Amino acid sequence: MADFSEQSYRQPFPFLDIDPTMESLTQFAELNPQSFILDNSAFNFQTFFPLSINDSLFSNQASQGETMSGFIHNSNQSSVSAQPIFSAKTEVEEISNKRKALDILESSSGNSSSSSPQVSETGIKRRNNSGRGKRAKSNEKEMEKPKEVVHVRARRGQATDSHSLAERVRRGKINERLRCLQDIVPGCYKTMGMALMLDEIINYVQSLQNQVEFLSMKLTAASTYYDFNSESDAMERMQRGKAEEAKELERLMREGYVGIGGVACFHSSSTYGPL
Amino acid sequence: MNNPHHLNPTSLKSRFTTRFLRALTKIRAQKPISSSSPTEIFRRYRRIKAAADKSMAYSVRSRRIWSRAMLWKLRSRSYRRQDPCSGRRSGKTNQAIMKKSSNENTTTRREDGVGFVEEADELRQLVPGGETMNLCNLLDETAHYIKCLTTQVQVMKKIADFYSF
Repeated sequence: MADFSEQSYRQPFPFLDIDPTMESLTQFAELNPQSFILDNSAFNFQTFFPLSINDSLFSNQASQGETMSGFIHNSNQSSVSAQPIFSAKTEVEEISNKRKALDILESSSGNSSSSSPQVSETGIKRRNNSGRGKRAKSNEKEMEKPKEVVHVRARRGQATDSHSLAERVRRGKINERLRCLQDIVPGCYKTMGMALMLDEIINYVQSLQNQVEFLSMKLTAASTYYDFNSESDAMERMQRGKAEEAKELERLMREGYVGIGGVACFHSSSTYGPL
Repeated sequence: MNNPHHLNPTSLKSRFTTRFLRALTKIRAQKPISSSSPTEIFRRYRRIKAAADKSMAYSVRSRRIWSRAMLWKLRSRSYRRQDPCSGRRSGKTNQAIMKKSSNENTTTRREDGVGFVEEADELRQLVPGGETMNLCNLLDETAHYIKCLTTQVQVMKKIADFYSF
């Protein structure tokens, strides 16, 4: 449960909604096979666009085809000989995503040789640290140094220093676990707040513990009853019979053949149904 | 239970059942109750309840924090009962170790910043070993603890039915 959430945060490029853009990217790769190589396993995003082109690309909210043709055109014009693999956000509706992709392009532009994903991550982090992310501000070039990064997407307008990022990650984990608990504990509704759900969970755990106590008391009573009434022969026979049955049941369970024993001895459980 | 006729022999339920039944037969064989004094009965009740908890904790082994805490608690309690002097000594050193580990991992009284402090504290008291967990682990352990408790209740219910026809 915990591992999956951590992994999802460690994907190399969280700024891309990989799934919706993958189809468009692959479609686009089919259109231009010779100039673009998409490596699915390790996305090497290298862009060689000068800054001005980015403005022209993203200022006009053109259709996908136009932006793509713009990309190709510019990439062919670029002087770098290495294989241009573009990182593009083909869906340019969301402003925040657009801004992030823009940031990625700008941060990795001019970095022709290294294809480290960390660079783009630092780009995100730097951009987010700037806070507002206006295009004018994001035109600065920054030194890229590989450093420890937290792979979390920050929403627009939220504080983005490392403390609050860690806080947000923690809160996400806690919310996910609360949701799991919600499925387990009966009587938890999605509409309830977290505090109410915790109260329900506490009540449920207490009730289960009380049930265990009550059942152990019942077992005590049953066993003392049998011990007590061992004078009468009938009781003794029944007690011995039951004890033997219990032992045989245990042996059966140990061997794994509970089907036979279970059916015979647990027939009374049908009255309880699923717990 | 989807299929009551087939039980996985390595499942939690079967592991707990075999252990608990074995402990029950041992308790019943140990001392047949001669008198019906409440203390005797209470003592047996305590023993049966401890057997249930211990069987459950043993079935989970040390994979979970709560099972480890419960096993440690049961063991220290039994040691203390057997030999008061040594029990006190070992109890103290063990408690010191526990406190040190708890201070290393988490601060026991910390404002999580999420706002569930009272409920979280109450939950910490319910789940064994909960004092040394932060909220994230606490919720995880609670989920597993609830699953084990429901198994325990199911099995004990069936056994009680079986005993009392």
